[in-house]
Order: sequence, then C-alpha cells, then structure tokens
Amino acid sequence: MDNNKKIRNIIQALGEHKDSQAAIDLLTELGTNSPDDEIRELTAQTLIRKNTHESLRVVLISKGKGINDLSARVAMASINELLSLKDKAEAIKILDDTIKLHSEEEVRNTARSVRALMTFSS
Amino acid sequence: MQIGKLSLHSVKAAQRSAEKNNAQVNRLSTNPFGVSFKGNVIQADVFESAKKESATAGIVEKGKLFASAVVSGINNFNEAFNSRINSMVSFGKKITKDAFDTIERIGNTEITFDMTGIKNRLFPDRQYSVKNLTNRSVDELKSMWTELTPQEA
Repeated sequence: MDNNKKIRNIIQALGEHKDSQAAIDLLTELGTNSPDDEIRELTAQTLIRKNTHESLRVVLISKGKGINDLSARVAMASINELLSLKDKAEAIKILDDTIKLHSEEEVRNTARSVRALMTFSS
Repeated sequence: MQIGKLSLHSVKAAQRSAEKNNAQVNRLSTNPFGVSFKGNVIQADVFESAKKESATAGIVEKGKLFASAVVSGINNFNEAFNSRINSMVSFGKKITKDAFDTIERIGNTEITFDMTGIKNRLFPDRQYSVKNLTNRSVDELKSMWTELTPQEA
C-alpha cells in the first residue's frame, strides 16, 4: 500500500471519526494545506460531507481552500460535492453570509457563483 | 506338738502362700514420686532400696534400669523422629501453600494480549485499513499522517 493510499484512508477515517471537531481540525491543518492536489481534493470532499458549520466554513470562506482552491480540479470537486449534499441549508447560509460580509472580493465572487449553482440545482 | 500335725498338703499350701506374697511385694514400685521422664512414668524402681534384697532381686532391678534407659532412649528417638517428621510436614505444608498461592496469583493475574499490535506487526498494511484507523484517536492519526508526509528539506 503506497503512502498516498494510506493518507487517503486516514482522511476517510477522519470523515467517520467520533471526535468530529478534532477530526475537522486535523483535516484543516494537514489536508487543506497539502501540496498534493489529490489529498486537498479528498480533504475538501470529506469536510463538505460532514456538513457541519465548522467543516463547511473551511471550504467555503477560506482563501485558497475548497471552492477557492487555486487548483481547478480541487475547486470543481468541492462544488460537485456541495451540489450533491441532501441538506444544503447550512452551506447556503454560510455562502449568503460570505457574499455579504467577506473582506476578499475574490472569495465573495466565488461564493456568489456557487450560491447560484446551488439555487439552480435544488 | 504341732510338728506332728504337719502334713505334706499343708506345707505346700504355706509355700505357695509365701511365694504369692513375695511376688506381690516385688511388683510394687518403691518409686514414691511417680517420676516421669518426658511424659512417660518411669516404671522401674530407680531408687536404691533401703532393704538389700537377694541376688536375684538385684538382677531384676538392673533389668528394670536397663528397660527404663531403653524407654528413655526410645523417647529420645521418638522425639527426634517426630521433630524431623514435623519439619518435613511443615515443609510439605509450605510447598502446598506456596503452590496454592501461586495458582491463586495466576488466577488473579490479568493476562492481556495486544491483539491489535500483534495483527499490525503480522500485517503491516492492515493498520491502515479505514476500520482500524477509525478506532484510533485523532492524535494517533495525526502522527501516522505526519510520518507518511515527506518532510521538506
């Protein structure tokens, strides 16, 4: 088993972990800052699947993470994961707040685009 | 004259009576204190009789002394034997007690096997299965993740 596969399994285990907050913190610390696109992509998807306020904030409002990632692959994977959520209420609320309140225009624009996609897809 | 009235029968009866009296007197011990030696009353008359008796009586007395000495010897032997037996019994009891204590200690000792650790050593990749990882603490997962990440020079 190669190291990447082992890390993928660790990320998956963190997604199912009972200690949710600690798992989110670790995913944010190591996963979203990984130099590997594949790891960042999987981390963003895992955080979105958790569908909690804390996990969604990381991938929706942080510059360079989740939907704001510089890698199109990671950003698109994050958006697809958001669109496939059954309960989108928390994600929409955070996006609305980001559009209104975030200091970075680039982040606000991305949030607006994703918000529109979610409106159309629901 | 009485002599004239003596008959063979009366003489024999008198002789038997005298012998009987002598025998009773010989059986009586002159030991006035009931001296005991280590729990055993010494039956022999170890005191010198004030009255000198016949040569036969002396031999009997010596025999009694010898018998008394033998009894004492036997008592000493018994004592030594009992002492050894007791120490052997004590030793046996101690061994038995120690054995029971050991068995009890073994019974009360909790033996645990770190089956997860054993499995992980036998199947190194198995510790990275999602099921296994989910049961680990986040701190452990962090350490594992850090180890797998190549360190920047």
